[in-house]
Amino acid sequence: MILSKILTRFLVVLSFFILLLSPLSLYAAGQNETTDFLSDDFYEDTADVAPETGDPLEPFNRAVFQLNDHAYTYIFNPVAKGYSAVVPFDIRHIIDNFFTNLEEPVVFINCLLQGRFSDAGSTIVRFLANSTIGVGGLVDFANREIGLEPVEATLGETLGVWGIGDGFYLVVPFFGPSTLRDFTGTVIDSLAMTPYYTCIDKWSVKTGIYAEKTTNDLSMHIGEYEDLKKLSFDPYIALRNSYFQYRKKIREHRVFPENE
Amino acid sequence: MKNNLLIQLTLVCFFLVTPLVSHGAQRPDPTEQMKPFVHKVMEILKNADFKEDPKCIICKRLIDVSRERFDFNEMSKRVLGRTWRKLNKEERADFVDLFTRLLQYAYIGKLEQYTGQKVIFRGERIRGKRAEVKTELNDGQQSVAVSYIMLLEDDQWMIYDVIIEGVSLVRNYREQFKEILRKEKYSGLVRQIEKKVKQLEEERKKRFSQKIK
Repeated sequence: MILSKILTRFLVVLSFFILLLSPLSLYAAGQNETTDFLSDDFYEDTADVAPETGDPLEPFNRAVFQLNDHAYTYIFNPVAKGYSAVVPFDIRHIIDNFFTNLEEPVVFINCLLQGRFSDAGSTIVRFLANSTIGVGGLVDFANREIGLEPVEATLGETLGVWGIGDGFYLVVPFFGPSTLRDFTGTVIDSLAMTPYYTCIDKWSVKTGIYAEKTTNDLSMHIGEYEDLKKLSFDPYIALRNSYFQYRKKIREHRVFPENE
Repeated sequence: MKNNLLIQLTLVCFFLVTPLVSHGAQRPDPTEQMKPFVHKVMEILKNADFKEDPKCIICKRLIDVSRERFDFNEMSKRVLGRTWRKLNKEERADFVDLFTRLLQYAYIGKLEQYTGQKVIFRGERIRGKRAEVKTELNDGQQSVAVSYIMLLEDDQWMIYDVIIEGVSLVRNYREQFKEILRKEKYSGLVRQIEKKVKQLEEERKKRFSQKIK
């Protein structure tokens, strides 16, 4: 029931945004998303001539980056640190499982849209198993007992698979690095999740849930941003480059090739 | 004309066959070469007491040990890109020295947080003289994927890049250096790295003087 609600809402919103985004497909479509560290091209200047994705909004992005940096340093990080001191790792892990499980239907739809049918299959098995035997998603039973690892699939990636370009690099206030296409995808993905929350009509509760999820996520990664900042010469570029490299990695979905 | 074509064909065949022949020869295994090195570093870390070591004698030992598996020369070359070709021998040596010092401070800071994580080898792939050894750093709760990119030099596999969760260290520094090189030329880059090393050095000293008080 809730699954079909999510599906309908997802498709309605999606078709609307496709109309909006389609002119973008003319811009930087069909990028090669594979990385080969063993190739010298990876370190060549030619690879730099056309960087991952343009950053025409750099001055704006840098300003938002500063804003996020302050928000992180003075609000989010202290909160996450306090939170991780009070809430033990096991509990944070359970909360993480719970939110991951809620997102599974959206991942499933995106897998289908990308033609990744075996990933779609394992996602739906994960969702069903974890929601029942895994006590409503609190335990990642499917990963632990059946060996089905969580699958990554977002609408940003789906749109990419369909040949829609990134548009441009975008730093979103209180959210972080993204691109026009990927952030649009994020917004739709989270709109598709709203059936869960229709029973909650108070804004304060919805915000509370989001804050909890964000704090919990962050508490698993304390210190990573500080390291990046401390060791880099231009944290803005370091983060932009890390974002694109990391994104490539999680979207390759490849099994590590043995000897060639 | 015909003769020419024949010579060319022979040459092509020769080039095609050569790599096959060298493939057949006994070649050292990158993972097998990594294992004793990782073991050595772990041993140093296990016995290390960073709190009692304000001058960081262990850091120097770690860097000396790393030299047997890391090729800092190759790393510097890739991090500078086109600029490397314009440098003379002395400048190159100086840069390698400086960049190694940066890595020393950058990564020893990380190693101080070592609390008995395990390194699990997750496979390798080899293409010609290049290899990737995939490992997983696991502390029982979370795991981090770390890949080492290596080059075969004589009979030794030497690391020239480290990929943490898909992010290449060399590529990341390279993107930042590119901007600095464009704006401030090579001398500006050297100045900035020197400044960074000094800053990291002083932070370390300050941490220890606070502890003593």
